Amino acid sequence: MTNTLSDQMTPKQRMACFLQGQEVDRPPCAPLILNHAARVSGVKISEYNQDGRTMGAAHVAAFKEYGHDFIFIFSTTSTLAEAMGTKLFFPDDDAPWVEEPVVRQPADLAKVRTVDPQRDGRLPVYLEATRLCCDRIGEDVFVGCVFSGPFTTAAALRGTENFVKETYKNPELVHKLLTLALDNALIFVDAILAAGGIPVLVEPVASGSLISPVMFKKFALPYLKPIVEKIQQANLPCILHICGKTTKVVELMADTGANALSLDVIDLAEAKEKVGDRVCLIGNVNPAKTMLKGGPRDVAREARACLARAGDNPAGFILSSGCEVPINTRPANIHAMIDAARSYRPQAGL
Amino acid sequence: MGEKQEILQQLAQAVVEMDEEAAVTVAEQAFRVGIDPYEAITDGLTVGMGIVNEKFENEEYFVPEILLCADAMYAGLEVLRPHLKIEAASHHARVVIGVVEGDTHDIGKNLVKMMLETAALEVYDLGRNVPLHDFVDKALEIDAQMICLSTLMTTTMDGMKKVVDILEEKGVRDRFVVMVGGGPISQTFADSIGADGYAANAAAAVRKANELIENMVTA
Repeated sequence: MTNTLSDQMTPKQRMACFLQGQEVDRPPCAPLILNHAARVSGVKISEYNQDGRTMGAAHVAAFKEYGHDFIFIFSTTSTLAEAMGTKLFFPDDDAPWVEEPVVRQPADLAKVRTVDPQRDGRLPVYLEATRLCCDRIGEDVFVGCVFSGPFTTAAALRGTENFVKETYKNPELVHKLLTLALDNALIFVDAILAAGGIPVLVEPVASGSLISPVMFKKFALPYLKPIVEKIQQANLPCILHICGKTTKVVELMADTGANALSLDVIDLAEAKEKVGDRVCLIGNVNPAKTMLKGGPRDVAREARACLARAGDNPAGFILSSGCEVPINTRPANIHAMIDAARSYRPQAGL
Repeated sequence: MGEKQEILQQLAQAVVEMDEEAAVTVAEQAFRVGIDPYEAITDGLTVGMGIVNEKFENEEYFVPEILLCADAMYAGLEVLRPHLKIEAASHHARVVIGVVEGDTHDIGKNLVKMMLETAALEVYDLGRNVPLHDFVDKALEIDAQMICLSTLMTTTMDGMKKVVDILEEKGVRDRFVVMVGGGPISQTFADSIGADGYAANAAAAVRKANELIENMVTA
């Protein structure tokens, strides 16, 4: 790693000061490096996501390469549903997908497992990766472990199309699924905390690209609140990530009580105006167009634009990608984003 | 308002209100009172989907609403279709659609498919995780005018370029218009792989498809 721009703090010091509202050397930068970590350590995605040591080692390698300000242990948004009984398919070198939801008909609700995080699905893989990162790099950086909110997990338990239709046709079943998903999320949160990780909440199926604010309020918000509270009871901040369009739900996202919102398709200046006094904002360099298909200059330009729009957000701003950094992103592009944070000078104007 | 107008309006309303049962009942009534099934579809159900389309663009309706409106539309169609005279449907443009290999996210594709069908195009749905050659083979087999490719993932978007390349290799690129869409796709990407069109959502996709096919016919 060759840096002409030097940092004064470690990522952990920076993030700790930042979260307490103290002065930091430069804005934190936490691109959503998830499956891409496997590319850094040179393993296939199917190797990365089946073994905790391999997954953890990949994130250690990624941290050594990039020095980003937060680690996100992650494989797919269906991991909790998988541990509850949904079957996934694992391509050789790409992220897994849902092959067979566990609740194929309403009566299958009984088939849904209450998870044992030390045993079921790949929850143990996440936990081992979390512990390994805490051991190896935990002094220098906070280690987050990503899990899905109830709306996303319930959709993976039932199949997304059926599930969203049933918000109208069978709301009772929907609430039962959401309750199961919530109960299991809380169990996993405890396990993440015990492993030394910071639980990071993602709820992509409740994106404004898919559902209306009315539906968000009815089916997503009430089930997110208890999770946010639980994380905060551990004296930790809660990060809530939702990808896709979020302009119409950003206030409801803040209503969950989360400390920081990770946002994708939204004008950060508008987000700042709407909720910036309540929550820290995280975002939002375009993952496909810029991170994957652009070059380092494109990334730098867009990163500076993000900082210009939200760098002065009252409750703080963390530079990041709008959603997962695409698996095959060029390392130079990720370095370019972090360098943009390093060279940011708020007073100098942009 | 005449009885016929009223029934057509009720058909549209059943679709807009996501009412599958009403769509079936009114479609049966339409047939009973002698309304031409083709007219019941185009001036009833399709008008309803047009309104749904507008509501989607205005962000009044979202994915769950559209899926339920579509269920209502298909339920009405099922009643009316067996009574359609064959020639009414035979001159429509044919479209091959699918989610490219390596990706199983198909809600976006399903929405586009439905909107295209509503716009009276004949749609051949190859499903999700579709081997790239299958798009070309199917398009040649049915002599399609258009190929629609969808993906939500960044790891699979380059498969769209491969489909265009395969068309080139086979020397049949000019026979089809290629439209691409999905979360990570942009106009810039569409241009960079040599696709003919891009649409940001299902409603825009229908407009674009009609425009592309019309240009093709007049060219």
